[in-house]
Amino acid sequence: MKKIWKFLTSMKFAIILLVLLALACALSSLISQGQSFAWYAEAYSERTAAVIMALHLDDAFHSWWFVLLSAVLCLNLLFCNILHFPKNVERTKRLRKPESYLQTPATVSRSDVENPKEIFRKLHFGRVFEENGMLFSVRNGLGIWGPWFCHLGILLLILGFALGQYTKSESTVYGLPGQTKPLGETGLNLTIDAFDVILREDDTVEQYKAAITVSDPASGDSRSAEISVNNPAKLFGRTFYQNSTGWAADVTVQKDGKELQKEALCAGEFLAVADKPELIIYLRAFYPDYVQPAGEAPRSASGELNNPAYLYMVYYKGELLGMNTLLAGEELTIDEYTVLFSNPRSYTLIQVKEDRFTGLALIGGLITMIGIFMALYLQQEKLWAMRQDDGKWTVYGSSRKGGVLFKEKFEEACGKNNE
Amino acid sequence: MLQIENTLLTLVMILYFAAMVLYFIFVAAKKDVFSTFALIAQSAGLALHTATLICRGIGAGRFPLTNQYEFATSFAWALCLVSLIFILKYKFRVLGVFAAPLILLIIGYAAMQSREVREVMPALRSSWLVFHVSTAIIAYGGFGVAFVLSVIYLLREKMKEGGFFDEHIPAKEKLDLISYRSVSLGILFLTLTILTGAIWAEQAWGSYWSWDPKETWSLVTWIIYAVYLHLRLRRGVNAKAAAVFAVIGFICVIFTYIGVNTFLPGLHSYK
Repeated sequence: MKKIWKFLTSMKFAIILLVLLALACALSSLISQGQSFAWYAEAYSERTAAVIMALHLDDAFHSWWFVLLSAVLCLNLLFCNILHFPKNVERTKRLRKPESYLQTPATVSRSDVENPKEIFRKLHFGRVFEENGMLFSVRNGLGIWGPWFCHLGILLLILGFALGQYTKSESTVYGLPGQTKPLGETGLNLTIDAFDVILREDDTVEQYKAAITVSDPASGDSRSAEISVNNPAKLFGRTFYQNSTGWAADVTVQKDGKELQKEALCAGEFLAVADKPELIIYLRAFYPDYVQPAGEAPRSASGELNNPAYLYMVYYKGELLGMNTLLAGEELTIDEYTVLFSNPRSYTLIQVKEDRFTGLALIGGLITMIGIFMALYLQQEKLWAMRQDDGKWTVYGSSRKGGVLFKEKFEEACGKNNE
Repeated sequence: MLQIENTLLTLVMILYFAAMVLYFIFVAAKKDVFSTFALIAQSAGLALHTATLICRGIGAGRFPLTNQYEFATSFAWALCLVSLIFILKYKFRVLGVFAAPLILLIIGYAAMQSREVREVMPALRSSWLVFHVSTAIIAYGGFGVAFVLSVIYLLREKMKEGGFFDEHIPAKEKLDLISYRSVSLGILFLTLTILTGAIWAEQAWGSYWSWDPKETWSLVTWIIYAVYLHLRLRRGVNAKAAAVFAVIGFICVIFTYIGVNTFLPGLHSYK
């Protein structure tokens, strides 16, 4: 049992887990995620598709085995930190005690030194202690805490990410300026006050900007903000992102020459005719600069409104009556009804997110960063000097990771010292 | 400005090529003077390369870090800078023999990419771009040098004692330590890259981690180098295993940079 415990908390096990995690990530990234069995069967073969589905490789990063692997790695890191905490505290305390230096195996030494403090100075050992006729000092004493902080940071990062995955709420709202839409089940309403697509001189998009107001009908409270790509706003504890855009148009339905209804539809939306709800007008797509080369599917030559066209579909009682493309000004007649598309304009898609654990993940990331810096760049080095019988000194040194490079630095400092 | 940039880039390639040839002559003729000429050529190449990047930045009106060409040329620049620092700091000129072809290969790849200056899309209009991409460039430079050092380490085992290489290449223990320092630089900056990328992704896409192929492969690379660092800490495991992981790590770096963009489309596939 002791052996198993020792293995599970060992660095060897951590290395095995890391390699497995790297392999799992690499393999999963090569398989398109979130597809159906039919898609995989088409892309690979039915047998491969069956294997992918059986091993949950279609959603690998949320699969039970990936979560298990990550959880075991977290436990390994946690146990490693728990076991090392008292050891590190003890080591840190002992840095001020001369006996700890005497117990440290010296990796370098130089005898017959007349001025040992000069070597301490040259090797940048700032504070030199003197006790019982012995000089001693340490550089980067806190460096041993680097891996500990790194592990702690990773644990917080994974914890923040995992809690966020299971508790966060995400939704999208799309609409045109002037429209107000409910924000899921939050009880809040989102009003799109304005939306602009800012173009450069060469007609490429510089920025998408939306002005929004979020209101709480229950309290009567409302807050406004301007959002754009890379500049989200936080309102009512939720973050609002300018996510995407698309085309919308007004759809006018006339009956016997009189306007029956007029609604704004985004591409992909439909309307039911007011007095005949089983008759559905579906705005399938919009082409701002419509072209249809012979033998090719219709497309837009540019993003400019040079030749607007509307691809519609009409359903009656669930049956497709027909589909076609209407150019600007063209009308669609269905019995006594006339349908006209007009006023094409951009709508905005706003992403709404609430994740209370993003901050925890960020703190974890920052602690990881600090830990890595401490572990790699604050490598502990010890230097101590003992007086010889003849009044001269022997200087000893030890470096946890400096090895031969520390030895070279030491010898250079000693060499000059003796000259 | 584009004309100046093109002229400078041609000169840079010539200088890097000259540095590589001079490093080869240094080894073939076994004369130190050629390594001095090679260092001069490499340093001059780096200076002109810096000027090329400045020209690009002025011409584009932004930091030149947004497309394959700009990243590749910056990657070669960082590799040249880091290798030069390591050559001078550790007095290890043979490093140039192995680093120069890699620099030339990467700048050659850059030269094959489109150099057209395009306006960036809204998602890339962020001050995080500079931090995210410049830290990635330094990380890749560090890993590139670690790769070269690890290859030398692995070859060192087969070199005869007492010969030219024995004199000019540090002992295996020192090589391992220098490689470790290079990986340290790389992993520190890769962590910064991932962290700044996550903060930026949270602002731009509303999700700091989406398992996008680029993100996933950056994590794979980070894990490989984490394994490298842990292997060096273990007693009884020789530095050879760590050197092998440093080589695998750099293969991951290259795949993250070129392979992912080519084969695995995702949020980072800016066209």
